Amino acid sequence: MKVLALIWSDESNWDRLSEDERKEWYGKYRSFSQAADGKLAGGDELAPTQAATTVRVRDGETVVTDGPFAETREQLGGYFVLDVESLDEATELAAKIPGAWHGSVELRAAAEEEAS
Amino acid sequence: MKYLLLLNNDGAAVDSWRELSAEEAAARRAEEIPRWNTLFAWAGEQGIDLDGLELDDPNQARVVRVRDDETTVTDGPFAETKEQIGGYFLAECKDLDQAIELAQRVPVATTGSVEIRPIAE
Repeated sequence: MKVLALIWSDESNWDRLSEDERKEWYGKYRSFSQAADGKLAGGDELAPTQAATTVRVRDGETVVTDGPFAETREQLGGYFVLDVESLDEATELAAKIPGAWHGSVELRAAAEEEAS
Repeated sequence: MKYLLLLNNDGAAVDSWRELSAEEAAARRAEEIPRWNTLFAWAGEQGIDLDGLELDDPNQARVVRVRDDETTVTDGPFAETKEQIGGYFLAECKDLDQAIELAQRVPVATTGSVEIRPIAE
């Protein structure tokens, strides 16, 4: 099954890191990706939420606002798509994502394919 | 440019799905398919490469945190918000304007919202 792992963390912490500290975190992510090889079906780091744009259409009118759809204590900073046997396996893997050590990893299973 | 589009469902819409029987849900799904197909056809014409997933009910979500080597797992989505992420698209677009063009054609934009997040360079 595919599980989307959303990585939420306080992006102001990231802003405060030095170049070397950032390199260190990227290294930890690389180690995770290598260790989880074969169980990852995708993933990306997102540009900060100040680059977010939210689009709504109401009564045929498109309304575009700057910023994320919700103001939250932690912000969505990246994601992985996990290819695992169960949500329990996804949970084990999620605990190894560096973002889980200071932020939160939200696991969202893909909807089951509707038999048609 | 690569963009992540978060497809946010209105909470009331999520609740209304839960009240449907399997048959009713299948019927409503079938009713919505043409709108999604219109979107996919448009993306195809524009040469926008789309990848994505529809997600399970947010009630099935888990949140994992590790502090001092202790893993804590809580049920439910990360944030209690009026809208909940119901799926996503990863799209290769020319620019933000094209991503907005795409977002406004996503069916959930009419009841919920579509958040566009550029992928970090």
